[in-house]
This record gives sequence, structure tokens and C-alpha cells, in this order.
Amino acid sequence: MKSKISLNSVYAPSDDIVAREIEGEIIIVPITAGIGDMEDELFTLNETGRAIWQLLDGKTAVKDVVKKLTAEFEAPPDEIEKDVIGFVTELRKRKILVEAPDD
Amino acid sequence: MTEPSVFVKPGKELSLSGSALIQLIQETLHRGAALKFQALGYSMSPFIRDGDVITISPLSDKPIRRGDVVALLSPARKKLIVHRVVYRNRQGDLYTAGDNLPQPDIAVSEKDILGRVTGVQRNGKNITVGLGAERLFIAVLTRHGLIYSLILPIMRHLRTFLRRPSRG
Repeated sequence: MKSKISLNSVYAPSDDIVAREIEGEIIIVPITAGIGDMEDELFTLNETGRAIWQLLDGKTAVKDVVKKLTAEFEAPPDEIEKDVIGFVTELRKRKILVEAPDD
Repeated sequence: MTEPSVFVKPGKELSLSGSALIQLIQETLHRGAALKFQALGYSMSPFIRDGDVITISPLSDKPIRRGDVVALLSPARKKLIVHRVVYRNRQGDLYTAGDNLPQPDIAVSEKDILGRVTGVQRNGKNITVGLGAERLFIAVLTRHGLIYSLILPIMRHLRTFLRRPSRG
């Protein structure tokens, strides 16, 4: 796994998770050996995480995610970029997110 | 903008509403994966007890058969139920029933069936009784309410009898 997140890279949810927005929350269930175990650890995202997650659709590059969030939130672009990169790194580490292949 | 965060939660601590669980089940099965979660209720006792962890798998190509334990949406209340298939009529409608209930549910069509129970765990151990070849026999008993009206009362009496301290 590449350790550095490139702003030109595109990321998408892994095939090894099921993610669903339920009652305003993103719930992520890891799938291991073809089974999603609700008794095991699940992941949820806070509101900012949810906003970023919804843009990580396998088509939008990280730099464009930053651009869209800059327009939506009142925060400096470099701060948003730092948060997005940190968040993508965390999700990749947990194998929730994968880099989308080049078309 | 607050810092984005990923929270790790033990599944047991996440209290999902029935409709939330239905959505997760549908999404997971649609992806071709199975889902394990805790069963609540007593309608399938003694084969599936309150608190047992059940695995619901996609239906795949195997036809639904009498005796199969399936997860479905009850047409009336849009509630998730896990019951046994006890009968199929000539029109292809399925009748399900809880093993511990006196009578079958209303008929459903195959499209109401979300998935099939392929595993039951109780206190960490796999329970196979009720899912094997005996399920056909159990379906017959369930269809006529015999587990509810006959088998379980006998088992309760036996348990009480066996627990009694011996005299002398």
C-alpha cells in the first residue's frame, strides 16, 4: 500500500465492506470471508467524515474533494486538505478505502 | 469544520432500529455476502433462542424449501422476522411460521424472502439442530403448532421434574 496520499489519486470504498447511511449515520460493516459480522467491530463516521465519505466515490480525485469541501465549509483550504488526507489515510489503514484503478 | 473521525464500535453497542437492520441486511445480501447478527425474541425457540447469533446468507441458486429458516419482511408490518418455511401452495406462495408460535404467518411470495439462515451460534458454539435434515420434520410440527402446544410444554415439565430434588 502506498503510504503517501496523492492529491490526484481517486479513492473508493473497498469491496470488503458494506456501508450504509442509516438514520443520519454512516455505518460500515467489514466483510471477512464473505460474512459481515454485526457482533464484531463496526465503524461509524462523524458529520465531517460523512461529508468526505460521500465524495470518495471512485471518480473524484482527492484535490477535487478538497475543492468541494472548501466551497461547503468555511475553513481554510490547506486545513481542509490536511483533514481530508488524514481521513483518507485512516480509512486506507483500516482497509475501508482503496485506491480506484486508473481508467 | 470539525476534524473528520472514524469511530470503532462493538456491534453490540450499536442499537439499530428494525428498519436500519433490514437495510443493512438487504445491502449485504445484495453484495453477495452473509450477515451475522443477534436474534431477538422467542418465536423460534427452542431452535433459535433469544440472544443467539444467526447468519443470514443470500438465497443464491438454491430454491427455498420447506423447513428452511428464512429472514423476511412481514408484509403487514414491514418488520424483519426470521421464521421457518412450513408450506408452499400450488400458486407458489410460501407460508412461514415461528417454531414457538401456535399458527403460521400469512402467505408471502419469494420476493419477500431476504435470505436463508445458514448458521446459529449460542454462547460461542455452533448449533446445528433445526437446520439439518430434521428441518422437514420440524416444519410439519411447526405448521400444526405442535411445538408450541405439545413439545415445549412437555420439555418444560421434564425440566421441572428433573430439577426437583430427590426425596429420601
